[in-house]
Amino acid sequence: MVKRLKSYEDMNLQELDVMKEISSIGTSHAATSLSKLLQKEVRISIPEVSVLSYEETVDRMGNIEELVAATLVQMSNEVNGLMLFVFKLDMANVVLEKLIGRKYESFEEMDELDYSALEEVGNIIICSYVNAFAQLVDVGIDLSVPSSTVNMLGGVLTVPIAEYGYETDKLMYINAEFIMDGTKLSDGLLMLPDIESLNNILVKLGVL
Amino acid sequence: MADKDLKVGIGDMKFTRGGGTVITYALGSCIGITFYDPAIKLGGLLHIMLPTRNDSNDTKVFKYADSGIRETIRKLSAFGMMKSRTIVKIAGGAKMFDIKGNSDFGNIGQRNAAMVKKVLMEERMRISAEDTGGAYARTMVLNVNTGEVFIRTVGKPEKRL
Repeated sequence: MVKRLKSYEDMNLQELDVMKEISSIGTSHAATSLSKLLQKEVRISIPEVSVLSYEETVDRMGNIEELVAATLVQMSNEVNGLMLFVFKLDMANVVLEKLIGRKYESFEEMDELDYSALEEVGNIIICSYVNAFAQLVDVGIDLSVPSSTVNMLGGVLTVPIAEYGYETDKLMYINAEFIMDGTKLSDGLLMLPDIESLNNILVKLGVL
Repeated sequence: MADKDLKVGIGDMKFTRGGGTVITYALGSCIGITFYDPAIKLGGLLHIMLPTRNDSNDTKVFKYADSGIRETIRKLSAFGMMKSRTIVKIAGGAKMFDIKGNSDFGNIGQRNAAMVKKVLMEERMRISAEDTGGAYARTMVLNVNTGEVFIRTVGKPEKRL
């Protein structure tokens, strides 16, 4: 009988390492897509994959009441779960400046056009990440149309926490920093397969 | 003695007496519920995340509306709260994301609000003010000296509930 994980925090170092390995390929694909879109060199740091509580995730990413833009995509088929990409203001500005030639002091000054541009960029980052991930693990993953919000960081992060609240109190946070023109941008990617899917992924990879 | 400022995390409850504030940040689909007994200046704030506790072995009682409200009432009553005097206000229960073609997704806020109301009704406690629904996060503050409750949201002035 193979071992089954009951929660994200049951992952041991080897399993986390494998997730990190796959994530680094996923995020480099995401960086390539972003680079094509912005016609600009985008580099990416080696991601850290951490299993964190809600509070720890908020602390890593910033201030609980800070405004962020977030894109959410739902995964289904062989992997069920959520993908969430969070833009902080510096990253949003780099994207908007390049795509529509605008720059802002705060998210509140933006309009619908800016929001939909961010949603699309978030969607592209998520899709290229998930496609690379699905190919490597050899699973079929379907993605929903993206949905987005500009809201307090703490509020955005309660969405995945509540969605899987009956299974786990933890989030899987992939900390990959995009680097453009020598500047690290702050963003966050969260991949949240449900527990059954996480088990399937690890079985497919031969680590469980 | 300086007044205490208490922070309530997700799925938690804190209370104090006499003065100070109790605050919970960035309620999304979660719901904040304040209990305030003005006669003894006893105030508590509960931050629930899900409607019902399905597993009775689950020790995180404040995470769920049903077990959280009952445990809060039990605790505050032990400190002298009387239900008949107590003012209850609720905030949160937003729908942060809308996924096209999947209208069920993100309805947790609505389900939380419905369960909070149901349990409070069963406990015979009336909700005197509420600010629920919408698509934005809220920060909720209870002033334990005056019993006032304030709601902060982005892009709008702080409002008194």
